[in-house]
Amino acid sequence: MVSIRQQLTSPLQWVALISAALILLPLGYVAALALAADVIVWQRLWATRIPELLANTVSLAATVSLLTLLLGVSTAWIVTRFDFPGRRLWEVALVLPLAMPTYVLAYVYNYLWGFGGPVEQLWQALAGPQSHLFSPQSFWGASLVMTLDTFPFVYLLTRSALLTLNVSFEEVARTCGASRLETMWRVTLPLLRPSIVAGVALVVLYVVSDFGAVSLLRYQTLTYAVFQQMTGRSDNQAASILSILLVVLALLFLVTERWFRQKSRFYQTAGRYRAPERTRGGWLQNASLSAYLASIVGASFGVPAWLLVVWTLSPEAQEALDGRFFGFVWNSAVLSASAASVGVLIGLPLAYLAVRKPTWLNMSCLQAAYAGYVLPGPVAALAVLILFLKLLPFLYGTAVVLVIAYVIHFLPAGLQSLEPSLQQITPNLEEVARTLGSSVRETWRRVTFPLVRNGFIVAWVLMFLQTMKELPATLLLRPVGFDTLAIRVWLEASEEYYRLAAPSALLIVLVGLPALALLLSRDWRAA
Amino acid sequence: MKDERRPARDEVNPLAMQPNLYTPASSVLELRSVSCAYEPQRPAVHDISFGASEGEILCLLGPSGCGKTTILRAIAGFEPVRTGEIFLSGRRVSSSSETIPPEARRVGMVFQEYALFPHLRVADNIAFGLRQHSRAERRHRVQDMLHLTGLEGFERRYPHELSGGQQQRVALARALVQNPVVLLLDEPFSNLDPDMASRMRQDLHVLLRRMKTTTILVTHDHDEAFAMADRIAVLNKGALEQMDTPERIYHLPATPFVADFVGQADFIPGTVKEGLVETELGPFPNTARSPEGASVVVMIRPDDLHLFPNKAAACRIVSRQFRGSENLYTIRLASGQLVHCSESSTTVFDEGTAVDLRVSATHTVLFRHGPL
Repeated sequence: MVSIRQQLTSPLQWVALISAALILLPLGYVAALALAADVIVWQRLWATRIPELLANTVSLAATVSLLTLLLGVSTAWIVTRFDFPGRRLWEVALVLPLAMPTYVLAYVYNYLWGFGGPVEQLWQALAGPQSHLFSPQSFWGASLVMTLDTFPFVYLLTRSALLTLNVSFEEVARTCGASRLETMWRVTLPLLRPSIVAGVALVVLYVVSDFGAVSLLRYQTLTYAVFQQMTGRSDNQAASILSILLVVLALLFLVTERWFRQKSRFYQTAGRYRAPERTRGGWLQNASLSAYLASIVGASFGVPAWLLVVWTLSPEAQEALDGRFFGFVWNSAVLSASAASVGVLIGLPLAYLAVRKPTWLNMSCLQAAYAGYVLPGPVAALAVLILFLKLLPFLYGTAVVLVIAYVIHFLPAGLQSLEPSLQQITPNLEEVARTLGSSVRETWRRVTFPLVRNGFIVAWVLMFLQTMKELPATLLLRPVGFDTLAIRVWLEASEEYYRLAAPSALLIVLVGLPALALLLSRDWRAA
Repeated sequence: MKDERRPARDEVNPLAMQPNLYTPASSVLELRSVSCAYEPQRPAVHDISFGASEGEILCLLGPSGCGKTTILRAIAGFEPVRTGEIFLSGRRVSSSSETIPPEARRVGMVFQEYALFPHLRVADNIAFGLRQHSRAERRHRVQDMLHLTGLEGFERRYPHELSGGQQQRVALARALVQNPVVLLLDEPFSNLDPDMASRMRQDLHVLLRRMKTTTILVTHDHDEAFAMADRIAVLNKGALEQMDTPERIYHLPATPFVADFVGQADFIPGTVKEGLVETELGPFPNTARSPEGASVVVMIRPDDLHLFPNKAAACRIVSRQFRGSENLYTIRLASGQLVHCSESSTTVFDEGTAVDLRVSATHTVLFRHGPL
């Protein structure tokens, strides 16, 4: 093993170490604050809020994962194993909900499903004037909105697993006498399990750390409670304790998921690629499949998007499209661009060292950077906030604090596309350039950089767009009077000014679409 | 074979005996004028007919894209046939109007990459197709197969814990345990290293003989086909070029393609004169009964030629390739044509040596033209 002293000779190493420390410091500080809290504070929280919050959070995550499992796997199965007119269209359309931030979908559903809304009117026309559906501001409301927003994670991963699944497994099962249905239960689904679990894991992390939907639907989860402690009561200590609980919950879950993945690591399901056989059916089958997919896409994207367009075109909203509105757009763009640029600059040395010199030091730096993965927005904000109040109070209330919170929060998203793009260049490529007479710098410019460029761009765009729609950290840390598009949507929607919120919401959704295209282009090849 | 060779050209030898090529009555498997696949990504096959009798090992040999795997998949029921029929044990399983699903055919299949279910242990993989049997019967059968394939002690392992050869044996056991009507093997040795492949070939041959399982083996490797098959069907561009015993395929190829595909072959042009084929290497009997004056080509294998150094000769050695058990020489004739000649590995001649060539073939193969 290389000693630490030897490793510290490279300046790149220092950059990586400092970045990792900067990312871990706020988290450590939150933990320290929580652990230093008086036992009485812990006891008070434990007696009053924690049991309810934990139960709410866990039951929401469980319900949403079950529902996304059903929706995600069934839709993936339909688009990969059946052939019917419009299949390719649905294949893409099923991803669209990912472009819709949870707070946008929540606010649209507040109207759609709310008291006296279109859905209730329809329901009363069918079931009688006295009947009521569950309110959107309830457990079931939150479950519905979160499910519609996150099932594409399961859909995407299951779909690509189904497309790359070696068809020989199914064929050999058939020659062993298993029917189509039996083959699905005994072979295909067990082989898809790792991908399905990975998809559900994304859903759970997303649900646990979501702030937008639960705040607009007034459903108490841990993440929402952290925010309330910070704003309503200005009690950072209580917020720290809840944050730590939240992080531990997420970590516990991640460890379980990792363990499961280790167990099924040997699932080499890919192989010689042969397109799976698609079932063709009569008009009745085609119509029912189309209707099923249409209702899912309609509920999760079609109807909400259409409502946003209608509201944006209303005179009320048109009036609000003045200089102030473009100021919000500008604020959002500048913030997102700076966060993305800083993120790429910090992420590059971390990813490069971990890929090229995978010593334990470099690997732990990279792992540290992934810590933001389990930090919900309010927690990241809290961490940065209390650290700056303590160390650099004069920066508090400036955009700098905000950018740092974004970087900590979204660096994992960037790293996830930086890392593979570095991994795909084997050292041999650089070495062959050296034997052909290129210097180190020239090799970097002519070989390495052109190869990783696309990964850079993808990382930048992903961080830009994530920041664009970020809500809780922005709410907590923004300079006074500094509004972004996401803030406007949330503020107007909280006051139930549905029409006024629409232009900002629509813009966020539209800007999110290219990010989707980027995400998809990576695993769409198999189609 | 080489040792038995004598100069006489028209003696009775094992190649002359006609094997029973087409016996529908006793066929376990029979294809009648089968054509299939019009999807662009899969090779099409046209008008293929052949049969396999009980316990026979039949090999489909051809270059990639010749349609051999398509035929195998048609037999398994994965590929519908456009015209023609397929019969298994006398039952019609495929026709243009009807395709009986694979699970109802009782075929066993071993895929190139084995396709062992990674979520099941070895014993559960083998027992996969035995659902309808009682638990005791299942265990009994699995134990038998483990014993036959030499996999005892591995039943609790997962596929990823096995070597390539062991994985292949599990795949075989899983296919054979159901007593299939016919066993289908798709390039079964291509994922093994050469040493392991030749050992597995021998083991498999013994096993199949013992179980008397009718087997269709797909391969692109003629050595593998020669080692395993009772009969070989050579396919090219979706059509059946020749179906015969390995010996006859090698020594009496029906087409220039077959001659070229199953081993090194040179094609010497010649003209029919007074009942003999006159070539640069001397006269050959006109076995094809071509008319006087016709131009034909004579197929020569490297082991049909022998070289003798002679300073006055017009042929020159161009290169020598050492192959362990033999030396393969490339020789340029006076006309510029290149031919190949194999000599024992201990006699070595330098490049540029002038040599005389002598032909000592037991039979002469004539074609109208060389391979296209």
